Amino acid sequence: MANNYLHLARPLAPATVSSQSLSTAPVAVTIQPQALFSILDHASRRPADQDRVIGTLLGVRSEDGTEVEIRNCYAVPHTETTEQVEVDMDYQKQMLALHLRSAPKEVLVGWYATSRELNTFSALIQNFYGQQGEGTWPFPAVHLTASTTAGQDVQVDTYISAPIGVTAERAADSCVFIPVPHEIKYGDAEKSGLELIAGARDREDRSQLIPSDVETLERAVESVLEMLERVSNYVSNVLDEEAEPSSALGQYLMNTLSLAPKVQPEEIEKDFNNHIQDVLLVSYLANTIRTQIDLSNRLATATLTMGGGEGTSNTTGGEQKPRRDGQQQQRSGGQRS
Amino acid sequence: MADSAANASPIREVQIEALVVMRIIKHSTSAFPTPATGCLVGMDIPSSAGTQLQVTNCFPFPASVPEQSQQDQYYQADAAALAAAAPRAKSNVGYQNEMIKLMREVNVDAQSVGWYTSTSMGNFVNLNFVENQAFLQKQADERTSVALVFDVSRSASGSLSLKAYRLSESFMTSYKEAKFSTESLQKSGLRYQDILIEIPIQIHNSHLLTSFLHSLPTPPPEKATLDFPSSLADLSHDPYTTSNPLAPNLDALDLSIDPFLEKTTDLLLDSIEAHQIEQNNAQYYQRSLAREQAKITAWQTKRKQENQLRQQQKQPLLDETEWTKLFKLPQEPSRLESLLVGRQVEQYSRQVDAFAATVSGKMFGVRGGLVPGGNAD
Repeated sequence: MANNYLHLARPLAPATVSSQSLSTAPVAVTIQPQALFSILDHASRRPADQDRVIGTLLGVRSEDGTEVEIRNCYAVPHTETTEQVEVDMDYQKQMLALHLRSAPKEVLVGWYATSRELNTFSALIQNFYGQQGEGTWPFPAVHLTASTTAGQDVQVDTYISAPIGVTAERAADSCVFIPVPHEIKYGDAEKSGLELIAGARDREDRSQLIPSDVETLERAVESVLEMLERVSNYVSNVLDEEAEPSSALGQYLMNTLSLAPKVQPEEIEKDFNNHIQDVLLVSYLANTIRTQIDLSNRLATATLTMGGGEGTSNTTGGEQKPRRDGQQQQRSGGQRS
Repeated sequence: MADSAANASPIREVQIEALVVMRIIKHSTSAFPTPATGCLVGMDIPSSAGTQLQVTNCFPFPASVPEQSQQDQYYQADAAALAAAAPRAKSNVGYQNEMIKLMREVNVDAQSVGWYTSTSMGNFVNLNFVENQAFLQKQADERTSVALVFDVSRSASGSLSLKAYRLSESFMTSYKEAKFSTESLQKSGLRYQDILIEIPIQIHNSHLLTSFLHSLPTPPPEKATLDFPSSLADLSHDPYTTSNPLAPNLDALDLSIDPFLEKTTDLLLDSIEAHQIEQNNAQYYQRSLAREQAKITAWQTKRKQENQLRQQQKQPLLDETEWTKLFKLPQEPSRLESLLVGRQVEQYSRQVDAFAATVSGKMFGVRGGLVPGGNAD
C-alpha cells in the first residue's frame, strides 16, 4: 500500500461530448478476499494450453462511481491465439443473470485476467466490458490482473482505462490502462475464517482442522504471552543499555499501560462472583433440561416394554411438568441477578 | 436396535477449500439475520479408509423466489421461510442445474455434494433442516451429500464455527417410511442423539493461495529490523503495524458474557415450550385413545352378553369383530418434532458447556490480572 499514484482526469470515450454526466474522477478499488480467492482458484483450474484465463468481477459502486468494491467474480471461458481472442458472450450473459438473481445488489464492475501482461487483447476485452449498454458505462470498467506464475509471489494490480487512437477503428481495440490503487478489505466475521485459512499456510499439507473454542482461546492467550515477552525483553534490553531506546515506543507503551482500569479489589471480586455464578448456573440448567427432555423422551417410548401400559407414561409426563415450570422460574431468577 | 454399522457415515471427512469458507461467510453475514442457503459443489474421493468429500466451490441460492402474483409486503414476512426451504424448492433445482452446467465449462468440479445454511447460536435443528438434508440424501446418486452449518453469531466472537452434518441411516429409513410413532421408535431404537452425524472438517488451501497468503498484504520488509518510529503518530500510521489483515486475531479474548447467556436461555425456553406442546399433543392422544378403548370394551361386553342370550334362545350369533367398523382409533401424533427438540436442546447445552469452559478461564485470568495476589485462593 506504500505505492503512490498520480491521478489524472481522463476522457472516457472517443467523441462523446454528450449531455450525459461522465465520471472522470479517479477510482479507489477495494477487494474482498473471497473474490481474490476465487480468481486464484480459477487460475489453478485453467486449461493446460492457456496462459491466462479471464472472468467477470462483480461488486458495488458508490453513487458517484469513485469507489468500487469487488465482492464476487466468476470465470468466463475464452480462447486466445496469436491472431484473435474469443470470449464466450452468451456464457457471460447467462452467468451474470444467474448471479443477479441470488445477489441483486452486486453489479458488473469489470473483469480480471490471471497474468500481469497487458496487450491488444486486453484492450479489446476492456472496451467490451466498458461499453455502453451491457458494459459498465458511464463508469469505467475495472481491470484486475493477478500474476499466477509458479514460483513467484502473487501480485495484484488494478487498472481503469482511457481511450486512445486516432480513428474509430483504432480506438475500438486500443486503450490506455491507468493503474489505480487498491486495498484488500475484510469484515469482522471474515476475520475468524481468514485466521484459520492463514493458519494452514505454513503447513506442508496445506490443510487444517477447525479448532474448538478452547483451542482458539489457548492460541490467542499464547500469542498475547509471546507478544508480552517480546515487549518486556525489549524494555529490559533498553534498561540494560543493550538495545536502542525509542521515545515514541516508550510513549506508546505508557499509553497502553495507563488503559488498565483502576478498580477496588472488592468490586472485582463481587463482579467476578456474580458473573461466574451466572455462567455456571446457565450451564447447569441447560444440562438439567437436556437430561429432563431425554428422560421424558425415553419414558414416552419405553413404557410399553415395561408392561405398565400407556398409563405410566401419562402419569410420569404429568409429574415432570410442574418440575420443569419450577426450573423456568429458577432460571429467570438467575438471569436477573 | 440400530447397530453401529448402519449408523456409520459413508463419508470419513469433509475437506473444504478456503474459497468455500470465505464465500459461505460472506453470504451468511450479508444475509444475517435471515438464514442463507446455498449449494456446494465438489467431488468425493473413495479410499479404503472411507470416502473423503472435497468441497471445492459453492454458490448461493436466490433468497426469495420472485413471483409476480405476490404482493411485496408478503415477501418480507416470509423471507426467512423461503430461504430456509430454498434447497428443495422447485425453482432452485433449475437454478442449480443451470449454474452447475455453466460451471462445468470452466473446469469447476461440477457435482453437487450438498448444501450450506447459516444459523445463529446453533438454532438450526428443525424440520426444515431435516427435510432439506433428507431431500438431498434420498436421491440415489447423491448419497454423499452433506450439510454445512455456519454459525454467524458465534463466529463473530472469535473462533470460526462451521460444522458438517449428515442424517444417520437409521433416521433416514424411518424418515422414508414417515413413521415416527411410539411403536416404530421402539422397534428401530432411534434416539435423538442418532439423528445427526457430525463429520470432521478440514480446511485446505491451494498452492497459489498459500503463495498469496505469504505475500499478503505487503511483501515482507526487506530489512531485517524495522526503523524506530520517530513519533507516536508515526507509529499509528506505519503500514507494517496497522494494515495487516492477518494480524493476530484476539477476538477470542473478548469478555462479553451476558448477551450469550441471555440468548441461550431464550432459545432454551423456546425449546421447552415446543417440548411442552408436543407432550400435550401426546397426552391428548392418549386420553382420547383411552376413551375410545373404554367405549370399545363396553361395546364388546355388551355384544358378548347379547350373544350369550342369543345362544340360550338358539338364535344365530352376531359378529363380535364388528367394532373395527364402528369405532375409529385416533391417529398417533408424530414423535419427530419431540426428537428434534431433544437434539436441539442437546446442541444448546453443548454450546453452553463450551462457552462456560472458555469464559471461566478468561474470567479467572482477568481477576488474576486485576487483583494482585488473587490467585492465592
